[in-house]
Amino acid sequence: MLCFTACYVIALVCEFAALWAPWATRRWNRLARVVSATAGLVAHTWFLGQRVAGTPQAPLTSHQDWYLLAAWVVALVYLATKFYRAQSSLGLFLMPVVLALVGAAQFASSAPLATFQAPRLWGRVHGVFLMLGTVAVLLGFLAGLMYLLQSYRLKRKLTVQGGLRLPSLEWLERVNSRALIAATLLVGGGFFTGVLSRLSHTNEHNFIPWADPVVWSLLAMLVWLVLAEVLRLVYPAARQGRKVAYLTMAAFVFLLFVLLVTMSADSLHMASPSDAAVLPRLPAAWLGEMF
Amino acid sequence: MLLQMIGCDHHQAGLEVRQQLAFDGSQTRAALAAWHRQFPATELALLSTCNRVELYAAAEGEDSAPAAEELVASLLNFRQLPQEQLASQVQTLTGSEVVRHLYRVTSSLESMVIGEPQILAQVKQAYLHAHQLGCTGPLLHELFQSALRTAKRVTGETSLHKHRVSIPSVAIADLASCVFETFDDKHVLVIGAGEMAEETLRYLRDAGRAQIHVINRSAERGRELAHTWSGTYHAWDELWDQLVRADLAISTTSAGQPVVTGADYAQRVTPHRHQRPLFILDLAVPRDFEPSIGEDPGVYLYSLDDLDHACEQNRQARAAELPAAEKIVAQESSRFVAEINHRATTPVITGLRAGLERPKTAELERLFRRLPDLDAASQAEIRQFADRLVNKMLHPPLESLRDASQNGPPHGLLDALKRLFHLED
Repeated sequence: MLCFTACYVIALVCEFAALWAPWATRRWNRLARVVSATAGLVAHTWFLGQRVAGTPQAPLTSHQDWYLLAAWVVALVYLATKFYRAQSSLGLFLMPVVLALVGAAQFASSAPLATFQAPRLWGRVHGVFLMLGTVAVLLGFLAGLMYLLQSYRLKRKLTVQGGLRLPSLEWLERVNSRALIAATLLVGGGFFTGVLSRLSHTNEHNFIPWADPVVWSLLAMLVWLVLAEVLRLVYPAARQGRKVAYLTMAAFVFLLFVLLVTMSADSLHMASPSDAAVLPRLPAAWLGEMF
Repeated sequence: MLLQMIGCDHHQAGLEVRQQLAFDGSQTRAALAAWHRQFPATELALLSTCNRVELYAAAEGEDSAPAAEELVASLLNFRQLPQEQLASQVQTLTGSEVVRHLYRVTSSLESMVIGEPQILAQVKQAYLHAHQLGCTGPLLHELFQSALRTAKRVTGETSLHKHRVSIPSVAIADLASCVFETFDDKHVLVIGAGEMAEETLRYLRDAGRAQIHVINRSAERGRELAHTWSGTYHAWDELWDQLVRADLAISTTSAGQPVVTGADYAQRVTPHRHQRPLFILDLAVPRDFEPSIGEDPGVYLYSLDDLDHACEQNRQARAAELPAAEKIVAQESSRFVAEINHRATTPVITGLRAGLERPKTAELERLFRRLPDLDAASQAEIRQFADRLVNKMLHPPLESLRDASQNGPPHGLLDALKRLFHLED
């Protein structure tokens, strides 16, 4: 874990260095970023592979794994941008998110999730959907943030030259819209697979604990995402410009709320006494079988 | 070997003189062919752009090279210009000055707009013209190829060319591209038919295939502009509808007061655009768009002053890159001059080597005759010993020649070596 975190830190340092680096050194700086990110991803993949080898249901068996897998996906996106949009400073925004997710994994519980409560397939689909939904919300948030920053610079006629090169407003708006659509579908998919997994139980667990803070916070987020999509469909102004950015930023606030609830879900999650007896630290419902 | 350059650029000569001296493609070919007949032992290349006319000449021997005055006379005679008036405005460079000058020209350090990229293609073209006519040889080939390499180094290792300095290029490439990912499907509204609008459309056309819509009070001029750029002309009363549809608006009218007021925009355009981004280039003086329009959330309004400010910043950024570019030019030109000077020492080096090889071979043959029992391995070992001895003996004089070549042709050293080792010319 230290190995890939160090690689990502080097990539981030290179991203900052690129802001002031002389022109002649930029090619080397870019190479350093690609090499360090690739090395980080290889180490990260190996780490997750080890987890899978050790725990068959990994890499979504604990909060820690879940954060690490989300970080891996964002790191992959970061590496792709080094080839797809090599000249832009997207890494300055993506890499801190990667490191934040790795950092969150450090503090997250490594206790196994309650995967025994539901069929294995549903649990995995549920976890993957929610993890990818989270990544979509994060990417949408970053695109929104960059949109507002780029718009601010253009409005105030701030110099466009210099190291910080942001993509065009048109591109950011497109990424923002697509991230919002993807987040709605993925979080919706995650929620409903969670419901299905719960209902597929044959024992006393086949009920939906609506009072569970994780369940209702996730539901609130899903409702917000659906409302945002409906708003974009019926109100043209919400399809373009800053409003899309504001919508994705609001989705990010919901995401933060859900994650905070999830982090403290041991005491909040509604679990039956029998479950509690089996699992001394019943984890939150974000991944694995949440219902 | 003699390298010469005669010509003038925007530093020495005014536009009138440069126009008189300028050569187009066919004139360049005709002139080179004529000069090649006149100076058959001389390699020639002619670089003619709007800012410079320069004739490059190279000859292996100084005796076979034409004098600079002859070249100036040929240049002026071809254009049928009076020598008495213009000869003083023609610059003459020789030797390493020519190398340095061509490197600076190709790297765009001598351009009117420093860092402009067109000069590189113009230098390539000049060499190609000369090469196709058989006017070039190994000297000019080396010189021009190394100049192009130097320019590529300057482009790759400095950001000199990255900072645009003309208003249309900054408007489109630096600013509008921050709003739009592509211009291919964009609705571009041109209000007025000023020169700056045309310049901007030229850059825009290079950036993508935008749909161009022209609005002008004079229908005739508006239609003409629309036709030139394969666009559509609209009557003046369609201004508000077109502003609602536009992605990019370029305004260059000569109206004495704003054509679009803040109140009109807020009332007739804002409600229909739903905050869709509109990038406005107000290139008119006085302004066509009231500054308050820029406060609309979806509007990015840039006036001529804003663009000029951005250009000035880019000019400063270019100036900051100049020392690095000059350093590359200095390095490369020194290297080229040293190589050319060193090349002049080749006959002496060959003579030196031959002068030592002959006794070595004779002595080896004598030795092997006196020791007939030596096996093949021993003979090979002795031959290797002799080769190494010769190479080691040659090393100090060759190093001295190489070092001396850095500062010009080492005539003194060459003469001394010739006398010491009885080398023939």
